[in-house]
Amino acid sequence: MKNFISNLGYFFKEAGRIIFSNKLSNIFTFSGTVLILLILASVVAGWSVSSRLVGMLEEEAEISAFFDEDLDEKEAIALAESLSKLDGVRNARVVDESEAYERMQEILADDAGILELFDDNPFKAYIEIRIDPDRTESIIETVREFKEIEYVRDNKSVLKSINDIIKGIKTVGTLIIFAVGITTVIIISHMIRQGIYNNRDQIQTLRLLGASRVFIGFPFVCVGLFMTVAAGILASFVMAVLIHKGYQIMGGSIPFIPLPPMAELLLVVILVIMGVSIILGTVGSLFGLSSIKDQ
Amino acid sequence: MIEVKGVSLRYRDGTLALNNINLTIGYNELVYITGPSGSGKTSLLKLIMGMEYPTSGTVKVMGQEISEEKSEELRNLRKRIGPVFQELKLVPGRSAMENVMMGIRFLDFSRQEIRSNAAVALEKVGLSHKADSMVENLSWGEAQRVSIARAIARKPRLILADEPTGNLDHDNAVNILNILASFKQKDTSVIIATHATHLIENQKNITIIRMNQGNISVEKRGGEE
Repeated sequence: MKNFISNLGYFFKEAGRIIFSNKLSNIFTFSGTVLILLILASVVAGWSVSSRLVGMLEEEAEISAFFDEDLDEKEAIALAESLSKLDGVRNARVVDESEAYERMQEILADDAGILELFDDNPFKAYIEIRIDPDRTESIIETVREFKEIEYVRDNKSVLKSINDIIKGIKTVGTLIIFAVGITTVIIISHMIRQGIYNNRDQIQTLRLLGASRVFIGFPFVCVGLFMTVAAGILASFVMAVLIHKGYQIMGGSIPFIPLPPMAELLLVVILVIMGVSIILGTVGSLFGLSSIKDQ
Repeated sequence: MIEVKGVSLRYRDGTLALNNINLTIGYNELVYITGPSGSGKTSLLKLIMGMEYPTSGTVKVMGQEISEEKSEELRNLRKRIGPVFQELKLVPGRSAMENVMMGIRFLDFSRQEIRSNAAVALEKVGLSHKADSMVENLSWGEAQRVSIARAIARKPRLILADEPTGNLDHDNAVNILNILASFKQKDTSVIIATHATHLIENQKNITIIRMNQGNISVEKRGGEE
């Protein structure tokens, strides 16, 4: 270990030599890695924004349970409490007739005058149940089994759409992250293999002199790390500029998209990109290094 | 130090490089392996170095059997050997000093020892003034001496030199052999493979292994040097 630490300067110097010994090829590798990490950064930023959107949509997933009119206020509240304890139910509360009337007034807005045509409040009290959209079907079934519940208005198609959007965003994001990860590992490991091939005589000499695999391989791991971390820094910088511009444009023109605070988004993107860079750089280098066995 | 028992080496193309060789080399010996090109000198050195494995028989170097299965032990054995390769195997783009240091960085030396050992080794081969020269800018003789410096800086128990005088004029060749011979010590042996037998005609206190078509004959030459 002492020997390893005292050689750190040598390892870094060797890594620099390996990078500059094949400039053109490494410039292409670096550029490719920056672009890939930029795609990853975009996905992370998009994921972060959409997670917020998804969170909001999930919060809005609800069903309305209409109960027996003979129930008094206390019994209705007790029923709502029972429903709120069901698996997959976020909360349940009683919406009385007057609140239902006010809500409809809000929905109708300028046309709310039509409600004045009724002598009495035409709306019934109901229980508003916010649910996990993943479990819509089972919750509706369970709620219907309560004898006090007369019928359930479920907005199934809306809930299904919300659920599909959430799943779609998650699936696409996962696939892109997976693809970016594999591509980066392949690019870096290929670069390391090329570096090993270019330095095969030196590696062979070191092996004949009794150098360990770690001593021979560490400069190559440094190369992979330097390249991906540098690419990560550049990709993060470009993404930061793009996010800044994006906030200026989207913040004003698409106010209904709930953007997270810019500093928070930047922090998430930079942390993820730098973390991924380090991990992928190390993994790619180690994959590439395995080819030393073939020398 | 070296025990070779009934060793044959046949290459994949069928060439028989060594044929049932038996040989013992002790400590504090200066050994010359001579013979014409293709007689098996390099093959014998490669076996001792663990670059080739015997087809039959056993090779033991400093108590360690040379075997493909014992790669870690072989690596540790190589650390105690100072090789001077026929093709030098210096790393281009590095100075003479860097090449010598590169060969000892992974041994049990401190940072200061690495630098001082390398400097002393270059001084011993008379190349202190070229320490910062890139190896590709050195003459063959100078590069040969860098290679020797890399070997001796390791403070090895065994120095193996394969044709160290190849491509050198008479004076430089004698100089190189004298440098190598000077490292024969109480616990260090030096083995030099060379086809230039005229250079060792008058040397005393040496062992000469004559090789011909994979067979050997050994001559122990005593007397004062």
